[in-house]
Amino acid sequence: MNGQTVVKEQESPMKRGNLRPVEQRVVTIAVAGNPNAGKSTLINAIAGSRLHVGNWPGVTVEKKEASFDYQGTKIRLVDLPGTYSLSPYTQEEIIARDYLVEERPDLILNVVDATNLERNLYLTVQLMELGIPVVMALNIYDEAQAKGYRIDVAQMEKMLGIPVIPTSATKKTGLDQLLEVAVSGEKGQQVAAPHQLNYGEDIEAAAELIAGSLRNSHPGLLERYPTRWLLLKLVEGDAEVQKTTNLTDQSLLSEALYHLRRAHGEDLEAVLAEVRYSLATGLTREVLKKPELPRTEVTEKIDRIVLHRVFGIPIFLAAMWIMFKLTFDVSKPLADWISTMIAGPFKHWAEALLGLIHAPEWTVSLATDGIIAGTGNVLVFVPMIFAMMFFITFLEGSGYMARAAFVMDRAMHAIGLHGKSFIPMLLGFGCNVPAIYATRTLENPRDKALTALLVPLMSCGARLPVYVVFIGAFFPKNGGTVLWSLYVMGIVLAIVMGFIFKKTLFRGDAPMFIMELPPYRVPSLKSLMIHTWEKGKHFLVKAGTYVLAVSIMVWFLLNLPWGVEHKRDSYLGQVGAAVAPALSPLGFGSWEASSSLIAGLVAKEIVVGTMGEIYVKKAEEKKAEKPTFAQDLQTAGSGLVKALGESVNNVTSTFGVSSLSTAEDAEKLAERTPLREELKKQFTPLAAYAFITFVLLYMPCVVAAVAMVQEFGTWKWYGIAFGYQMVLAWSMALLVYQGGKLLGFGG
Amino acid sequence: MGISDMIIATVILAGASYLLYHSLWKKKGHCHGSCDGSCHKK
Repeated sequence: MNGQTVVKEQESPMKRGNLRPVEQRVVTIAVAGNPNAGKSTLINAIAGSRLHVGNWPGVTVEKKEASFDYQGTKIRLVDLPGTYSLSPYTQEEIIARDYLVEERPDLILNVVDATNLERNLYLTVQLMELGIPVVMALNIYDEAQAKGYRIDVAQMEKMLGIPVIPTSATKKTGLDQLLEVAVSGEKGQQVAAPHQLNYGEDIEAAAELIAGSLRNSHPGLLERYPTRWLLLKLVEGDAEVQKTTNLTDQSLLSEALYHLRRAHGEDLEAVLAEVRYSLATGLTREVLKKPELPRTEVTEKIDRIVLHRVFGIPIFLAAMWIMFKLTFDVSKPLADWISTMIAGPFKHWAEALLGLIHAPEWTVSLATDGIIAGTGNVLVFVPMIFAMMFFITFLEGSGYMARAAFVMDRAMHAIGLHGKSFIPMLLGFGCNVPAIYATRTLENPRDKALTALLVPLMSCGARLPVYVVFIGAFFPKNGGTVLWSLYVMGIVLAIVMGFIFKKTLFRGDAPMFIMELPPYRVPSLKSLMIHTWEKGKHFLVKAGTYVLAVSIMVWFLLNLPWGVEHKRDSYLGQVGAAVAPALSPLGFGSWEASSSLIAGLVAKEIVVGTMGEIYVKKAEEKKAEKPTFAQDLQTAGSGLVKALGESVNNVTSTFGVSSLSTAEDAEKLAERTPLREELKKQFTPLAAYAFITFVLLYMPCVVAAVAMVQEFGTWKWYGIAFGYQMVLAWSMALLVYQGGKLLGFGG
Repeated sequence: MGISDMIIATVILAGASYLLYHSLWKKKGHCHGSCDGSCHKK
């Protein structure tokens, strides 16, 4: 495959059907680079695909693809995980290396951060060992120029023997030139294999000796693997390569490496790494000229404040508080509007529609009290979820999230982890499931397991609907603060549990890790929108799948045995009633509360859906006259305008600007929905806070359980998470309720 | 509850169960998808 860029498609169904074959050139391009070099942004800019882009290390874990046509050539881009090297130590490095060695793409597109040339070239040197044609995208070139860096691109091309194209993925410059080079094989100007860099006399001699031995004893290996790469891996004693190549004959290697070991010692891996670093350093010195007196950069100025030893953590907590307050204030009026729509017009319209087709009466109840009440009460929180995802995406894209991980590094060390583990935990604020998958970015199994155990304590978006319903009913004036307290409680308990685990299940010191802090950037609005949608759509999909399915099942469980008069006597009611005494000391020992918690085991937002099914019917029964279709439409229109106005108004009031909102308005808003009205009769404020504490902490949802089992290949860690979280949830809710009562907050 | 009601209820419950099974258990392996909607696996 080396040096060839023309590949014809495999036999297609068209061919098999004796139709005229359509031969289209397919060029497979593997996109490789360091984290934060802008790989995903570059692919987005080229292919228009919507890959997730973060501004801090460790987000891109999965291999992703994008296919498109360019000048008659089908280009298949394969986005490899961001790695600093091709050593088989992290999951990302293994994925990237296996793909390049075994799949042998036609071309490697090496995305290099021009502002961090030396560090990025270390990977370039390793990619060049593979003998696959390499094209370098010298990305973030505009920022490098703005910093006063002068990069001699022509000299770089000459020294490396590969095309080097300056690009800016965010400004979409240089991309056409990059694609031109990638498909240039068609014009007879194939991208050649890169230069073979000289690793020094000793290493080259040892590699040649091994090559000679392999030609005699294992000639197949030299064809199967890239020769240069294989030889260098055998020189450095790569255990994985020795294992996969079945080179158990150590005498073959020890003879060839005898002189090398005598000259450099036993650790030949370190020797090779040093050589590669020297090459990267040397290349950088040759091609890069930095201004003699570097300007004090904005990033450094901001970092002096946000990474301050004393103020770092308070600033992080303040940033979180602002985020939650904004989320709550901006989205609440819209959420209330959707709630009004679901409780009113949507129900009326569903009833009318089913009445028209003479559907059985129970199906009307299933549709309105089951599907609409269950799924609808979850959909109410769509504005809130999207608002929070927007702010999280903004913090990620701006570069602050990496700083948050950095300031938490010391706290993380206290629990036997390092700051890098905080990244999956931060992702957990969005959804625990991708956060659990993100633990694969951690290098050792101990860190992975410990982080995955703590991730469910990070309050995910699915729990938000439960909080908001209760906050709206009981704490309308201090919504943002109550919400913030729950998120902080999750973090504090994660630190406490981590400390306990460190002393019991995971003894040992935290490994060292150097964290990369990308420069601050203002994320583009388009990028913010795309990534907010990517994060939030998962919630919509869940509403249309898990939540819908469980809402239907819950309705049946609440109505079986058939004809049951009181929901308390239904199957779900009976199970709830059996569990209720255990929750009594926590202040919410009713069958309704326990039934909702049981249903929420599938996904936490279902707690709200189930409450909608249980409670709302009672409240609805009191209403008499139904409005007409025209009245419903009028309510919807005027309600939306009012809600949008309130949202905008709340943004200003968040920052202390005088607002039209008053305490009275807040009270009115809180009493508007039937579910909240009913909850106020069932819970006291203290019991409500104990309930949301329980929801925050009780066992991870089934979706997270599946993720954990898939990631670790065992039920062990999920079993531990289930056990400790149930105990923790019960204990903390007890502490809140009984402690609150003792302190005089009322029962 | 007549026989037709029982059939409708069974179909709805079976549909809901399949939806839950399909979305929860059948989607083994996490994939963020790609631009052509595929999830390339080696």
